[in-house]
Amino acid sequence: MSPQLEGIESLQGTYLFDLERSAKALRLNRFLHDLVIPEKRALFKANPEAAFEQARLTEEERKMVRDLDWRALIRYGASFFTLEKLGRVSGVSNPAMVAHMRGETLEEFLKTRNVPGAR
Amino acid sequence: MARVIGGIGTSHVPTIGLAFDRKKQDDPDWTPLFKGYEPVARWLADKKPDVLVFFYNDHATTFFFDHYPTFALGVSAQFPTADEGMGERPVPPIKGHPGLARHMAHSLVNDEFDISVFQELPIDHGCNSPLTMLWPDAVAAGQWPGALVPIEVNVLQHPVPTPLRCYKLGQAVRRAVESYPGDLKVVVVGTGGLSHQMNGERAGFNNTEWDMQFLDLIERDPCTLTAMRLADYARLGGTEGAEVIMWLAMRGALSDGVKKIHQSYYLPMTTAMAVALFEEPAAATRPAKQGVAA
Repeated sequence: MSPQLEGIESLQGTYLFDLERSAKALRLNRFLHDLVIPEKRALFKANPEAAFEQARLTEEERKMVRDLDWRALIRYGASFFTLEKLGRVSGVSNPAMVAHMRGETLEEFLKTRNVPGAR
Repeated sequence: MARVIGGIGTSHVPTIGLAFDRKKQDDPDWTPLFKGYEPVARWLADKKPDVLVFFYNDHATTFFFDHYPTFALGVSAQFPTADEGMGERPVPPIKGHPGLARHMAHSLVNDEFDISVFQELPIDHGCNSPLTMLWPDAVAAGQWPGALVPIEVNVLQHPVPTPLRCYKLGQAVRRAVESYPGDLKVVVVGTGGLSHQMNGERAGFNNTEWDMQFLDLIERDPCTLTAMRLADYARLGGTEGAEVIMWLAMRGALSDGVKKIHQSYYLPMTTAMAVALFEEPAAATRPAKQGVAA
């Protein structure tokens, strides 16, 4: 590991996106990234199972995407920034994604914020 | 000769652009954000820079992990607005400055910064989110009042460049600008931060105390910041907050004598939103006014 990152493993609840995670989840991240392409996005909205098939996602990957299981997706190796595309396409806000990763409801999470209405 | 007249550090959270698009200026939840940018927009309207050199990161929108550049310089005359999953944001396409950008490519490579280049690729909220705050009249006018030279930095996929390397990139950018024969006024912009984390159970982490230290050190002691490691940035400001190394690139392009003449800080939700304005001594036409608000 890079000397720049020594000690980072002591940060609890942190999944640093590095080359290992990137390699493991390349296919999943490509699927998520491709939601920026209007045709791919339209297919996913109209027929998610066909979009999963086209991207050759594994059953484990399909289930996490189907369930919008942000916490599991991050743990698996998705980049937050490709997940952001899925969030926008699915109508889920970043605060809702963050709350889910923390294991809180959106309402619980908003109570911890300075300006809960700023969404 | 082209010259650097100042610098801007700014967050680039997508909600900054969204608040602008939804015209939230008078919404009390958003007013502090807009007020914080007003002095910066006024300074830009007053100084009328020809070019903003913009250190930003792509959010796996245009570049993907099959080839994610560490540093990439945009050299075309225009850059479309990226579709990030909801269609394009309603902002004018970014105007480039091919003359300066091509010169910078030569200068950087000869300065042993082997930067990659791109042309006509879409640019995402990494640039356009703060840009509507800096140049708020551009959307109504249908065009930006100046050109951009975008410099993309990998802050997404580790290994990312070290804080010191980003600072040195800024220094090389200043040499590149100052060796350009055209008479241009240039402002360097570093984007990202401040504290936030967007992954794992630690998502939602913030640290205002560290953010305030960072805003102080970036002006008067950037070497303390370049000596810190990425793990320190992640611990203090969150893994995504470590993207403030792009502010170090901006700071590297400024002189030792630069003065911070304004800063604003607002933390409504998950990401600390900050903007800071730096003016080069030669560019100051009136006494620097302190506008520091926390």
